[in-house]
Amino acid sequence: MSLYLFQILNGIGLGMIYFLISVGLTIIFGLLNFVNFAHGAFYLIGSYLCFTIVSLTGNFWLALALAPITVAILAFFTERTLIKRAYHLPHTYHILITLGIALIIQELTISVWGPIGKSVSVPDALQGVFQMGHFYYPKYRLFVILFSAVIAFALWLLLERTRFGALVRAGSEDAETVSLLGTHIHKLFSLTFALGVGLAGLAGVLAAPIRGVHPFVGVEVLGIAFVVVVIGGMGSFSGALIGGLIVGLVQSLMTTIWPQGSSLMIYGAMAFVILLRPYGLFGRA
Amino acid sequence: MKKMILRNVLLSAVLSATTSLSFAAEGVTIYGVKSVSGAFASYGKYADMGSKLAVEDYGTVLGQPVSYQTLDTEGNAGKAVRKVQEAISQDDARFFDGATLSSTALAIGKEVNKVNGVFVTPAGADELTGSDCNMSTFRWSVPTYGAIRETVKPLIDQFPDKKRWYTITPQYVFGEALLDNAKEVFAAEGIEHVGNSYHSLKEQEFSGYLTNAMAAQPDVLLLLNFGSQSSNALRQAINFGLKNQMTILMAWSSGLDQLQELGPDIAEGVYFGAQYWHTVDTPMNNALVKRVNEVYGMNPNYPLAADYISTTVILDAIAKAGTTDSAAVAKVMEGTTYAGPTGSETIRSADHQVLKDYYLLKGKSAADMADADDFVDIISSGKSFPDESTLMCKRS
Amino acid sequence: MMKQKKSSLFGGVTLAALATVIVMPMLLPSATLATEILIFAMAALACNLLLGYTGLLSFGQGIFFGGGAYVASICMINWNFGLLSALLTAMLTGALLAGLVGALSIRRTGIYFVMLTLSFSQMAYFIAYSLSDWTGGDNGLLDIPRPALTLLGFEISDLVSSQAFYAFVGTLFMVIFVFARRVIHSPFGTTLVAIRENENRASAVGFSTNHFKLLAFVISGGITGIAGALYAMLLNFAPLSNIELQMSESILIMTIIGGTGSLFGSILGAGSIVLLGDVLSAVWPRWMILLGVALIAVVLFMPSGLWGGVGSVADRWREYRRRKASAIKSQEVN
Repeated sequence: MSLYLFQILNGIGLGMIYFLISVGLTIIFGLLNFVNFAHGAFYLIGSYLCFTIVSLTGNFWLALALAPITVAILAFFTERTLIKRAYHLPHTYHILITLGIALIIQELTISVWGPIGKSVSVPDALQGVFQMGHFYYPKYRLFVILFSAVIAFALWLLLERTRFGALVRAGSEDAETVSLLGTHIHKLFSLTFALGVGLAGLAGVLAAPIRGVHPFVGVEVLGIAFVVVVIGGMGSFSGALIGGLIVGLVQSLMTTIWPQGSSLMIYGAMAFVILLRPYGLFGRA
Repeated sequence: MKKMILRNVLLSAVLSATTSLSFAAEGVTIYGVKSVSGAFASYGKYADMGSKLAVEDYGTVLGQPVSYQTLDTEGNAGKAVRKVQEAISQDDARFFDGATLSSTALAIGKEVNKVNGVFVTPAGADELTGSDCNMSTFRWSVPTYGAIRETVKPLIDQFPDKKRWYTITPQYVFGEALLDNAKEVFAAEGIEHVGNSYHSLKEQEFSGYLTNAMAAQPDVLLLLNFGSQSSNALRQAINFGLKNQMTILMAWSSGLDQLQELGPDIAEGVYFGAQYWHTVDTPMNNALVKRVNEVYGMNPNYPLAADYISTTVILDAIAKAGTTDSAAVAKVMEGTTYAGPTGSETIRSADHQVLKDYYLLKGKSAADMADADDFVDIISSGKSFPDESTLMCKRS
Repeated sequence: MMKQKKSSLFGGVTLAALATVIVMPMLLPSATLATEILIFAMAALACNLLLGYTGLLSFGQGIFFGGGAYVASICMINWNFGLLSALLTAMLTGALLAGLVGALSIRRTGIYFVMLTLSFSQMAYFIAYSLSDWTGGDNGLLDIPRPALTLLGFEISDLVSSQAFYAFVGTLFMVIFVFARRVIHSPFGTTLVAIRENENRASAVGFSTNHFKLLAFVISGGITGIAGALYAMLLNFAPLSNIELQMSESILIMTIIGGTGSLFGSILGAGSIVLLGDVLSAVWPRWMILLGVALIAVVLFMPSGLWGGVGSVADRWREYRRRKASAIKSQEVN
């Protein structure tokens, strides 16, 4: 099998992971019109909780279930106490308040878990690799790709086919009308924020066995999430998927073509897209 | 109101900072340049513990009490340099140790040299004892030259039929230095260098590079990055099952703290190069391990041990010189041989490089570990340094 | 409301800045520390022109800071540039880079504008470390001289002592401070505020808002470039971290905590953050939590930062005095 073909496959895999990292960000932006710079920090909490749960119980699946829910609950209370007071302010203030939250989370993480990084083992059932010619692909990464696809489908169902989704979509168009219908728009916003951030926590759990757990990983994750979301179109669900795949493919292929420039290319691509298509590939004005 | 409170806080903080500085001026003070806060806290925290303990253990020198002052770099080379300048001008500070980052160490070496002070560092940049060497700067860590020769060479000797090597290199000064040395060894030993992947300074995703490596079908994968990049490169290489396909060597690991991060699942069967390992059987190290366990309840890791010995070496030299005149102390340090944690260590006069062992380690399985920190066996150790005639260091 | 406060404080603020510049080295443990504070105050002030007066949140300030530092240093090392010509080069570099970044970024607004500056910042960092022959890569650029201050061939000071260099930076800071005040109070500055308050209205009134924004960028970049060069001269060293995203972030945080829309706030912001780092970091390594709390507090409770806090105390005092005076007057009348 040729190197490039395998890099394309690897890029698709990477893209699905990036989708998972970014989808929460785009949901929150699309529905709440809120810019969340603390997205990476909540990812961080997710991966540290994963580490703690796995080292206490030895059970990765328990971590996969519990950690994202804990992160979502945390997010719910953060929204109730802090975030909701900033909705009416311009985007600039969203960035500042969430930058503050991210800083606090990062430093608290170091206080609790120490400055040295941690590792989480791949669960036993997913140890090992698939072999294709002289290339290998980890079973665990394959699992993450399939799992992300399932999550993507479930999210699509939730947003397109349920009352919750309909309300949320309506709320993002015209909050007042939805309030008039008797729905508590604030509660809806809190739940949506918790959902989006919970997805960041989920990404943190799934990435822990691949990327390890490190207190300064939040910033990098935030960067990738924004690149993906901006390329795809902020607030667009399918945009996050396509954006994730584009970034994954570019990064993977670049490692063979021009490795030094892979990070340059990603940010270059983002600037290019903003300048040519201000609302990304799938965004709406 | 807010303003008043703030001003009071600031004023009292400033006052306390000034008073603590003026107290420190009596006796001999060692200034530890450590990244206690900020992005390199995982290193600075232990380095700081090392220097602190060394000063405490020393007690007095020349009949005067020894004190220790931390200069926190905040993980930022600029801050570090400014704080060193300040200590020098306000406090007549002359004796420094520490610095994690190469850039910090290089710049501080220059500052300290302006006042003929003494600065001992375990940082990684070869320029410290190479093109940017000076009278004041001393370096405890083995340069890339030795780190490659004491890891790559023994591995080649052990597996003479593993002829195909692949390298993954971060594209910056330090990575290039490791790569150049590796290429020299490959050429000398008749090794086929089947490929190299460069990656950028902030890369954390290595699947693409590992794919390149798989395509080249090497016998040995040599990782030339360090810190969290090497951890992630190794972790992902293990995920991709490369451990069963090839031998993996991480030439520049940070030792115990990195192995604690990786854990035995990942480290088992992998080779690591290291500046220090706590089970090395030398009198000084045995004493150090005992002492650190007593005081901190842990085994010393590389930053702790490196900064402990750096501080001790300075204090020894002050005692031997019989003066706190730093230029005289620097002179005394040149050529000294002392019992260090890695055995007998010598400070070479020509470039102020400490000649000490570098280690090749091999990861054990969890079942074979005797205690929580028993991650590796020491496979080999030795001293390799560029010959004095080839040094880049030109000092006036 | 905001405007009124500003003009009533106009004379006072420049004097307050001058007093701060004079008193700071006496209160602080060293002139070196005071110099660092002034340099970052300069960068924060430049950032304030964008954020506070024009409403542009730029993550690109590190590009101009690092760019100014590198170009001035390279000129001094390789071509023996003098002090003033190096600073001039740094200013031009900063202005040019800001012109480039600005021209592209201001084509978008809101979050997309922010993201553009962020991606340019990442690209600049990449370029800086790739050109390691010039910039020293991640080892940083070493052996940067601090040339003597000469005017028309006469050496005024060699600037070797930290006090002399502080005096020079302080003078330059005051020049820039007064210049910035002039800019803000010119029709140009008023237009910038109009753009910040309501861009659509400003453009409807007939302003070419993009030209104004671009000029604000260029001025901000020029000042930031000078700050970068001064930092390199202070340290004799230009680390790669000068041009990192974190530098942009920390300049932004200083600006915001000090108070957007007030130039004196930038001194407060830079001063308090540099000092906090100095005093607290050794005692409590996790002191950055406080920065996080401060950011949140500024957004929720103190939108005009530390300086706003001072301003509202001053307002209350004036209000108190006025009432008291009128009370006395009314008593007299009675």
